[in-house]
Order: sequence, then C-alpha cells, then structure tokens
Amino acid sequence: MAKYICAICGFVYDEEKGLPEAGIKPNTKWKNLPSDWVCPICGAVKSDFQKADDLPSNDVNKLAPVVEHLDSMKEMSPLQISALCTNLARGCEKQYKSQEASLFKELAEYYRSISPRENNPDVSQLVELIKKDLEEGYANANAVASKAKDRGALRALVWSEKVTRILNSLLTRYKKEGEAMTDNTGVYVCTICGFIYVGDKLPDVCPVCKVPNFKFEKIEGGHEHA
Amino acid sequence: MLKKYAVRNIRLCTKDCLCLYVCPTGATDTENSIIDITKCLGCGDCAEACPSGAISMVPFEYPNQQEKTDEVVSSLKSLAISKSKQESIAIGLTGTLFKAFQISNHIQTEDLIREAGYMLPQSENTLVFLNSQLEGNQSKDFPKEKVKLLIELLSKNKVKEKMKDKTYENLMAAFTGEAEANRKYIAYAIKAEKEGKLNAAKLFRAASDAETIHALKHFEVAGKIGSTANNLKDGVAGETHEYKEMYPDFVKEAKESGNKAAEMTFTFAMKAEQTHAHLYQEALDNIDETEEVFYFLCPICGNIEKSVPDKCSICGASGSKFIKY
Repeated sequence: MAKYICAICGFVYDEEKGLPEAGIKPNTKWKNLPSDWVCPICGAVKSDFQKADDLPSNDVNKLAPVVEHLDSMKEMSPLQISALCTNLARGCEKQYKSQEASLFKELAEYYRSISPRENNPDVSQLVELIKKDLEEGYANANAVASKAKDRGALRALVWSEKVTRILNSLLTRYKKEGEAMTDNTGVYVCTICGFIYVGDKLPDVCPVCKVPNFKFEKIEGGHEHA
Repeated sequence: MLKKYAVRNIRLCTKDCLCLYVCPTGATDTENSIIDITKCLGCGDCAEACPSGAISMVPFEYPNQQEKTDEVVSSLKSLAISKSKQESIAIGLTGTLFKAFQISNHIQTEDLIREAGYMLPQSENTLVFLNSQLEGNQSKDFPKEKVKLLIELLSKNKVKEKMKDKTYENLMAAFTGEAEANRKYIAYAIKAEKEGKLNAAKLFRAASDAETIHALKHFEVAGKIGSTANNLKDGVAGETHEYKEMYPDFVKEAKESGNKAAEMTFTFAMKAEQTHAHLYQEALDNIDETEEVFYFLCPICGNIEKSVPDKCSICGASGSKFIKY
C-alpha cells in the first residue's frame, strides 16, 4: 500500500485508508481512482500527485541554469508594466500611502488600455507556455535564486510554480469538460498568489500561500468578448 | 530624528478605547481617526496598548531595496514575460475560467516583478522606471503629470540608498565615543583646575572642545539632524524614555545596592528630565511663537525653569544660583 502526495497543497492520499467520506473505500489503489479524480483540497488532477517514496531530492546542482540575458525595461510589454504598477500600488497601500497607490493604479490602467490584442488567442498557446514554464522556467530560476540565496525570489517561485501547476490541472480538465466545467460551480482566485479554485467547497486557507479564504475573489461573467 | 510614527488601520479599529489615553501628546485623538503625525512622538505606547492590533509603527525610512543579482532578475523577468503573455491570451478568450486565468497571471506577474527588485515604491529602481517612462515616446493619453507627481511624492520619502549600514553604525558609534570623551575631559579639566595643574586643565579643555567638533560632524554626516520641530519631538521622546523607563530602574537598583550617591544623582536626573520633556513639548506646541522666552538652569541638578524660583523644586538649591538662557 502506498501514499501519494499532492504537489500543490500537500494533501496525502493513503491507499490503505482510502477516502470513505468521498465514497472511496479503504485499500483502493491509486491506479483504480477515476481518471477525473481531483485533490479534495485544492482541485489538482492525478498527474500532479507524486508517490511518497519517489519525491525528488532538493539537489539544486542537478539543475543547469539556462540564463537568458534580457535588457530589463525595454523588454517589458505594456501589460507587464501594468503589473509592475499594480504591484507598486500594493506596496503603497501597505505603507498607508493612498494617494501614491491610486496614482500607480491609474498608470497601470493606462498601460492596460494600450496593450495590443492577441491576434488569434487559443487555449493551446496557454498549454504551451505553461509547459515551457514548468519544464524550464522554474528549474532555471530556482537554480539561480538558490545560488544567490535569494529567499524572496525563492518564495515567489514556489508560489508561482504551484499556481502554474493548478492552471495546468485546470486546462487538463477543460480539455475534457469544455465550458461546462464552470457551469453551476464557483470560480475563485486567491488575490495574494493567484491560485484558482473551481468548486463549491472553498478550502479554509489558500493551498498555495496559506492566506485565509476571505482573500479569495469570486469570479463572475467573463463572457463579454463572446 | 524620529524613526517611526503610528498609523491606525481603520478597518481594525473600533475607535473607543485605550490609545486615546495612553498617548502622551493626544496625537491619537482626532476627528477623522487618522493619527496626527505632527504630534506623534513615535513612542509606540498606543500600538502596544491597542487590543485590536489596529495601530502599526510605520518607519519613515524603509530598508534599502534588497540587492538582486542580474541572473535572478533576468530569470524572474523571463517568467514574468511568459505570465504576461498568458494574461494577454486569456484576455482574448471567453468564459469565467479564462477571466480567472487573466487575474491569476496578473497576480503572478506582480509577484515575480516585485522580487525582481521592485518591492519598495520609494526605491531607486522605481524612480528610474518612472523617469524612463517620462523620457520614452508615449501616446498623447500618457498621464505625464500624474507620473511627475508620483516621482515628486516618492522622492520625498525616498529610501536612503547606498549609505552602507556599517558606515552608519560606525558614525553613530564614533558619535557616542566622542560625546563621551568630551564630557570625560571636562570632568578631568575641573579636577586638574582644583589641583592647580593648570596646563593639564587647559589641554583637557581644548581636547574636550575638539571631541565636540568631531561628535557634531559625525552626527550631521549620519543624517541625524532633522527640522527643529522633529528635533523637539526627538527631545520629548528621548527625555520621556529616560524619566519613565531608564531612570526609575536605575534608582531602584541603586537603592537596592545601597549606593546613596548614585541614587541621588539618578533621582535628580530623572526629575530634571521630566521637566525637560515638558518644556520640549511646550516649545513644540508654540514653535511659531516669536515672543522671547527665558529659561533658568539649576547648576546643581540640571532642573530648568521658566522663571527664577526661590529654591530649586528638585534639589532645593537657592534660586540665586540659577543660570539664565
């Protein structure tokens, strides 16, 4: 009998115990769980679980850094500058500087408004970008940040990588279920780390960054481009 | 210079309790609930007393922006580029899920950029960014005046960059050492004068003045001299700490160890510091008053009064000994 651990929130599925409250009897093997089974805490799909014995060691030296050199500001898209500005607005709010915060928000709004529209946006492009982030982006950035002993960067990378895995999980489900996936169910985003929860039983704390769930925002609509 | 001031989080505050009476200056007692920064001494009494945890001590100056290596910055930024691209694609897709994707990717981009050297709004990095936006080619809708205003507001409480913490510490350690040497040499000079060793006394006087010159320069370079209003506040805070916290303990310990002379010098100082704190506060309240005020110093215990008393209210010395300022 083995145990499987959710890479996003740490939930443990123990084959011996099963999940009687969800109708899964004790001694139910991992491979016999339905393929559309998701983590009861955070909603991750089965492929985001790892067998307890197979957890990789944290040997950062194994990761070969592939550093792309970018000329900082010139590379930023308007949408990215908009995120820089909303980030600085948050920084001002933390310091109780409300005038500065609202000026940064206005500036962010300006950059958002001049951001060019994607020509032929498609879900498969999201899948590709997420795949690249998960395969290269985080490995590279984690290796570099570990080497520099940059705690803040490592913290941001842990959150963002977990959130990206959940987005990947949701896209996997979306491919099977389509738009119906969000019919008659809640969609929430954690306003601190960006974790997305699709379902009706919000976890008490965010599975990624652990803030209490009153910091989640319920998402409504989203059909205005239709 | 004051290091911190109190700020009330109105969402947590119930406005009906302790900070109103623990505040020594009434800074917390305002109509609009915003703590009056011109009265705040930065003592932290209100924050300690608040049962709701609604008052924070906010620093005037934040630490420097953490140094980021070029590799960390570029690896975080390339991830941020990917997240922004995903946000942009999600904007073009319909449905609640992709609206959530937009927001999620925006939040991730914010966080990655924050850790790429943009945590503090008043850091050099932020100011460089804002200035670069002013210089670049922008459309006619670019809110130029707002960016200028932001630069002005943020420069006011700009983080002091590059004053290495170690050098600051060294300046303050040298200030303390020089200040101590100055008083010590005066004590030695008085002793030498009493013994008739006048040349030695002269040298001690000259050296003590030299140490004053050093101490004042170190203090100035360390950036510790603020506006007179702020300096008065610092005076109130320093003297209040001494008479409320430091000397009461010292007096008690001197008493317990049976050291009468120490008990007396501590007691005199404690009482004198209380009058100093009171006078500093009064001077702060009347900072724009132009009518001349005189102060009279008791040369025995350090008490200061605003008129010559018959006898010093602290040590009982005759009023005729008081020195006028």
